[in-house]
Parts: sequence; C-alpha cells; structure tokens
Amino acid sequence: MMPVLTVIIGVIANFIIYLAFGSLLTKNKNGEIQLALALPVGFFAYYSLFFFVCIPVMKWFRPLSLLTAIWVPIVAVIVLVSLILNGRALYEKGRELFARIRKDPLTALLLVAIVAVQIFIVTTSYNFTLDASYYVAGVATNVDTNMINVYDPFTGAWQDHFEMRYFFATYPVSDAVVCQLTHIPALVQTKSIMASVVILLTNLVYYLIAGLLFEGKERARVLMLAFMLFMNLMFITIYTPSLFLFTRTYEGKAIVGNLSIITILYFFILLVKDKKPRMYWLLLFLVCFGSTTVSSTANMLIPAELSILFLPDMLMKKRFRELIPYALCILPGILLALTFVAYVKGKFVFYTYPVW
Amino acid sequence: MTVLNVAEQGLKYLFACLNLYTENCAFPMLYFAALIFLCVRGNEEERRLFLPGAVVMLLTIYNPVSPVILMHFFDVNSEYYRFFWITPVIVLVPYVSARLILMQETGKGKAVFAILLALLFVLSGNFLYANGYERAENGYKMPAELIEISGIIHADADDVYSKAFLEYDYNMQMRQYDPKILLTIDREDYMNANQYDYSPEMLEDEDHPQYRILAALVRFQDVEPGKFAEALEKTHTEYVVLNKAHPMLSYLSEAGLRQIGETGERVVYKYDLAEPYHFELVDYSVVY
Repeated sequence: MMPVLTVIIGVIANFIIYLAFGSLLTKNKNGEIQLALALPVGFFAYYSLFFFVCIPVMKWFRPLSLLTAIWVPIVAVIVLVSLILNGRALYEKGRELFARIRKDPLTALLLVAIVAVQIFIVTTSYNFTLDASYYVAGVATNVDTNMINVYDPFTGAWQDHFEMRYFFATYPVSDAVVCQLTHIPALVQTKSIMASVVILLTNLVYYLIAGLLFEGKERARVLMLAFMLFMNLMFITIYTPSLFLFTRTYEGKAIVGNLSIITILYFFILLVKDKKPRMYWLLLFLVCFGSTTVSSTANMLIPAELSILFLPDMLMKKRFRELIPYALCILPGILLALTFVAYVKGKFVFYTYPVW
Repeated sequence: MTVLNVAEQGLKYLFACLNLYTENCAFPMLYFAALIFLCVRGNEEERRLFLPGAVVMLLTIYNPVSPVILMHFFDVNSEYYRFFWITPVIVLVPYVSARLILMQETGKGKAVFAILLALLFVLSGNFLYANGYERAENGYKMPAELIEISGIIHADADDVYSKAFLEYDYNMQMRQYDPKILLTIDREDYMNANQYDYSPEMLEDEDHPQYRILAALVRFQDVEPGKFAEALEKTHTEYVVLNKAHPMLSYLSEAGLRQIGETGERVVYKYDLAEPYHFELVDYSVVY
C-alpha cells in the first residue's frame, strides 16, 4: 500500500476510535455530543484505559501478542457500543458540520490550509532527533521481539529489569500493538500517522480555545489560529514546545507539552466561564490521567499547570469545594512521580524475569 | 539542559535556563506585552483568565528559588525548562494579536496591522527552517543509504540477528528501521565518546571492550589493531560501517576486516568472528 494512503487510513481509524471513546463521555443529558471535544477527550480516555490493560501484561512479562489479543476486542466492543448508542447523534452532528462548511466554505478552506501546512511539515521533513533512538526503536523492538519493554531499544540487548522512567508511560506500547496488528512499520506509525493525529488534535483544541475567546466570531477564530501557526513556526529553540510539535511529534513529551497543556487550559477557560463544572471536572481528570500514561514529563507538568491555573481562581471565587476534584486531577501525576523517586532511591525494582 | 546544574550555579541557574530556552527569541517579551494589553484594555473575564496564572507563574516557576528547592526532591537539572511550557504564550499572544486587528475599524487598517504583527513575529523569532528544509527521502523518513546498508548486512549474514558498529547518526537511527540489527554501542557510550578521550586504564578494561572500538574509530586514539580485533570478538561485532572519507579505513584492513559492500558514501566491513555468535530471544514460554 502507498505510504500516503496508509497514513490517511491510519489517521481516520484513530479518529474513529477516539470519537467512539469520546462520544460516550461527552454526551449530555439531552443526548447531544460535543463533536470537537469528543476527539481530544477520546484520545486521553483511550490511553487511560490502555494503561490498565498494558501494565499487568508487561509487568508479568507476557508477550505483546497477548496484549494485542486482549486490547483489540476491547476497542472493538467500545466502538460498537458507541456506534449503537451514539450513531444517530454523531450522524446529526456530522450533518450540522457539513451545513456549517457549506454556509462558510472560505473559513473551512482556511482552516484546512492551516492544518495541512503542519501535517505536510511533520510527515515530509527529515529530522535527526536523538530520542527517537529510544521511542521509535522501542516500538520496533517490541514488535520484533513480541515482548514489551524487555529488550533495550538502543542496542537490542536483553534487560534484566524494566526502566521505570518509561514503565508507566505506555503510549509507545500502543503503537507497538497497532504495528503488530496492521504490519505498519514502526517508523510510519510513529513519525507519520501519530504525528498527523497529534497535529490535528492540537489544532482542534486551538480551535476550541479560540471559540471560547471569540464566541460567535468565526473569522476571528481562524485569524487566531493562523497566528498560532505562525508563532509555532517562529518560536523555535531546541527547548520550546513548538519545536517538539514539529520535529519530535512522535514523542510523548511533544503531546504533553502541546496537546495536554492546552487541553487543560481549555478546560480551565470552560470552568472559569462556569460551563457545566461537574462534567468538565470528570473529563479533565481523564485528560490529566491520560497525559501521565503518555509521558512521564506529565507527572511534574500537569500538577504544576493545574495548580497555577486553578488554585488562584478557586481562591478568588472562594470555591473551595473544587479543591477535591482538583486534588484528584493532580493525584495520578504525583503518585507516579513519587513511585519514580522510590525507584531511583532503590526502594524497589521490577525485574523482567520471575523472582521467587 | 544537561549543560546546566542547579547545585553549582544556584540562583543563576534560572536565568541561564531561560536564556537557553528562549535564545534570541523575543516571544516571552511579546507575552509580557500581551499581559500589559489585558491589564490596560482587557475586559474582566480576560483578566480573570490570564492574569492570576501569570502572577502565580512569576512567583513559582519563574522564581529563582524554585529550582533550588525542587532539586532537593527531584533531579531537575536537565528538565526544569519544561515548566516554561505551561506559560500560555502560544495562546495569549495570537489572541491579543487577533484582538488588535479586529479593533481596527477599516479593512485597510486591519490589513496593515496584520502585516505589521506578522513582521514583528518574523523579527522576534527563529524560523523552524532557518537552516533549510530537508525533505525525507522515503516514507520511513530514514536516509535511503541506511536502508541499503541494512540490506547489505542481512544479505551477508548467516543469522537473523547481526551485531554492527555504525557511525553516530546511523547508530541512533538503524534500530528504528531495522530492530534485527543489534548495536555494539549504546547511546550513553556513544555520547561520551563524542566528548572525551579514553584513558589507558579504560583501554585495558576487559569488562568494557567497546571502549577500544570507540577510542579507535571515534576518538582516533592509538589502539593496537590486534587489541581492536579482540574487542570486536568480545562484543560479537561482525559488521563495521564507516563513511568512505573516514580516516581509519586502512586500519580496519590491518585489524583483519574485509569490505563486503558499499553504498554511495559508506563502506561495509566484515569481521569474521573466531567463535560464531548466535543471538537468541529469551524464551519466556518457560516462565509460567
């Protein structure tokens, strides 16, 4: 199959799955689904659930094929249930979307152009990045050995214990499952398919944020998005999230530094605007937990961002009851960070073989 | 930011960190300007959304004491810069830019303002492709030559898995494309070899024979060819791939390697192991 076609099909398949997960979570009492929100929420929900399936299989050094055999039916059932429950609502939303595009095709065209430029950049450019020798080679190694993180991605040598820095960040293992199932090469899956998915989702959340800031002004939204693109292209040093977005998109760090951080900002804006707090706290929890399963960078960044954004607002509004959902949202990151500290201090180690 | 160290540099660390993070990019200044705009012209909601967070960030992640305190609990030397990612530069600056354009009353005014802002962005930033855009040679986004080298090795090898020494860039990329090629040198060893020479004690270290390979082929240190061949034997390295312009090609022949193939810019050498090495995956079916 042509690589371009593989990438397009891969991206669409991912979006169908995220939509299925997300629509189950974002459906309100009136049966309405927030289509744009369902996708990023579905993305984080997918990786949150995958974490719970992946960890036991990996911890007890069972083969990747077992994980694939467990995970694929789970996803299939969720997609099926979601289609049965939300098929009609999704169809209506799709019709609404097409009606909006027909009403203002120029805006839609501009949006497509803004995103297309970014997808072109991440899928066609060559970047030598050192960390790919771990993340991408890790996916290739897992598929090749049919094991999960048991062999060193750098050299291929067997490891006697799991590297805890990466143990709970199960996002790359999901790529390995997809590669094993579809026979798509790890490089295509990570550097083209998932890179395009991340660009699309990041821009979708940009669009949602612009919508909240420019309520009802569609052209202003597009203008803001154009400036965001422009700024991402210009805000380049080897440390900025913009660089990670365009050249290291395959890394969990790039997802946390771009998608997670702005999705949390989006929920902050929603909650400050007092829009359905309870439901949004639940979705925010999924974003926070899902982020910690994408990259260990989230363990320090997500609690910090939540504290910086939400604590002053709670204090100013004297809404101290929100401290409980806030604490729940920062909990996964803090727990995983403490677990890693315990590992570094030699309190425990997970071997890749049974210790009787 | 591996070049920085909180403990050694103390409070200067944060400023050094910020300096490395932004280089000559003026976007943090634009963010600051956008905050001032919200203070002066923003509505109550805009201020509520962006100002308290900015103040808390100033008191926490941009406070020079923070990295010092944090260092007591976590090693943040090389990762503190990631806290700067929380600053919503990428949202606030474009938002205020769009607001400024919309504030202009005429279409001409909007267009002029948009161009001026775009110019400001260009002048205050570093373009992603300032050093040129390099198009990937194939769908794998790998050098075509690397793929060719993988083919040469597998065509020659008797075993499914083969161990190779490659130059730095290819060493870091090969296993992304071909996990059946095992590598003699891991990432840390290679990064160290790019910076430091090997002491005589290290070259005699029988537990780390790979040091001799790195010393000879990366640091160009004097390693006796017989000792080099012994290191290849001990590390089970059958293939060495070097650039055609590499100064140690004749040295490889002296050490007993022979050329088995070449690509546009690289040569593939083979070392015939005295004791053939067969890499097998661990059999986990016996675990339970």
